[in-house]
Amino acid sequence: MSYSATLQDHLAHPRNAGELAEANAVAELTNPVCGDRLRLMLRIVNGRIAAARFLAYGCPPTIACGSALAEMLEGMTTAEAAALTRQTLVRALDGLPARKNHAAALAIETLQAALLQL
Amino acid sequence: MRRVYLDNSATTPVDPRVVEAMLPFLTEKFGNASSVHFYGQEARAAVDHARREVASLINARPNECVFLSGGTEANNLAMRGLCEAHEQHGRHIITSAIEHSSVRGICEALEKRGWEVTRLPVYDDGIVRVEDVRAAMRPDTVLVTIMLANNEIGTIQPIAETAALIHEERARGHKHTWLHTDAVQAAGRMTVDVETLGCDLLSLSAHKLYAPKGVGALFVRRSVRLTAQNVGGHQERERRAGTESVPFIVAFGKAAALARAELAERVEHMRRLRDRFEVGVAATVSDIVFNGRRDARLPHLSNISFRYIEGEGLLINLDMQGVAVSTGSACSSGSLEPSPVIRALGRTDELARGSIRFSLGKDTTDADIDYTLEVLPRAVENLRRLSPLYQKALAEQACAPV
Repeated sequence: MSYSATLQDHLAHPRNAGELAEANAVAELTNPVCGDRLRLMLRIVNGRIAAARFLAYGCPPTIACGSALAEMLEGMTTAEAAALTRQTLVRALDGLPARKNHAAALAIETLQAALLQL
Repeated sequence: MRRVYLDNSATTPVDPRVVEAMLPFLTEKFGNASSVHFYGQEARAAVDHARREVASLINARPNECVFLSGGTEANNLAMRGLCEAHEQHGRHIITSAIEHSSVRGICEALEKRGWEVTRLPVYDDGIVRVEDVRAAMRPDTVLVTIMLANNEIGTIQPIAETAALIHEERARGHKHTWLHTDAVQAAGRMTVDVETLGCDLLSLSAHKLYAPKGVGALFVRRSVRLTAQNVGGHQERERRAGTESVPFIVAFGKAAALARAELAERVEHMRRLRDRFEVGVAATVSDIVFNGRRDARLPHLSNISFRYIEGEGLLINLDMQGVAVSTGSACSSGSLEPSPVIRALGRTDELARGSIRFSLGKDTTDADIDYTLEVLPRAVENLRRLSPLYQKALAEQACAPV
């Protein structure tokens, strides 16, 4: 299996990783099939995502999706964030192996669960 | 970038001395070993010579060794060939829970054709118990197949003791049980002697021995009858039809001769580096579990579960820094289930997913180990920083009463 250079770069240099102290929208979802886990923490101020952090356990695509998602979320309005799709994330990583689309699905589902907390 | 190859259980580089021995058989010595003329006889003599070398490696007679395409085909010929030839005596197989995927796959294929398979546990040390083999034996048991050494954790199985048990059964009149062992990982890394082992069938692969991929051998003890799986030619005494791959067989012969001559030196070298590696990892990385009984393992292999992280992430991180390893994580194998071998030790899914196999070779150097010990702790730490499981464990530790 080969991963894109972008995906490998996210793995080597994860963006926005770690805990977020003043988060007001947090979700942690697990893929029940493979056990991958993603935690997304957002600080939302006046309808805009001021800060986004992630933690991930799982295969490289899961970590890279968390990293790419948290990176692109900062500065977005919640409406823009709610409109994000798996395809946006896959494109941001310059593609995912077909069998790894579940990683993008987990990331988008986690985002939606976090936004629901508002 | 510095490159360190620690995946010698997957395959080994071809030894330059092996390449040198093989090359003439790709060029001027191109004959078909079945031809009667000079070219054919030259090839035949080379195949015969290689057969003697391979036989010597395992203390067999040359005519007990069948050349074929590799370990998987050897396992197929041994198991399917034996079962087909003897199904009138019963349809029961005993095997272990940690066999190579080829043996597991063949067992499943035979089950679909009505055979019953008993899979023996390996407990938390990765070793089959002879008492369990004894308890599983039935009057209709035709095949016992247990690997000589495991490919993921390197544990060495009690094959000689299992053979003794089968010989006892034979003495009691139960003459239709045979013992096969997959020695693909063991050969060249420990003494493999078919007389000491007492097995009837033994599989070998050349590419784990510094020869090319695409050639292997099956030891078939005299008087053991198999149904050929490849038919339509007289080669290999009717046991495996098809024109012999003379260059690869010559390479295998040379590699076997070198493995025999250098065994003690290679074992000592790999064991020293492996042990140094394990001491180094234990000193620099917390929350790890070594898999497989430490004092009954192949000398070149170390399998470690890293808690809180997933193996493929670690594999890719190490690969980006030039260190090649393999993992029992499901991601890499293309299945959803993590390594059945690590699971068979009773480990959790998390530990199975976080397992990494480091397999050294005869050419691994102290500098290779130094470099790996330098990059590994950092790679583990980087992934743990991202891991919600690790953060949770840290938080729990912080809350725990002192």
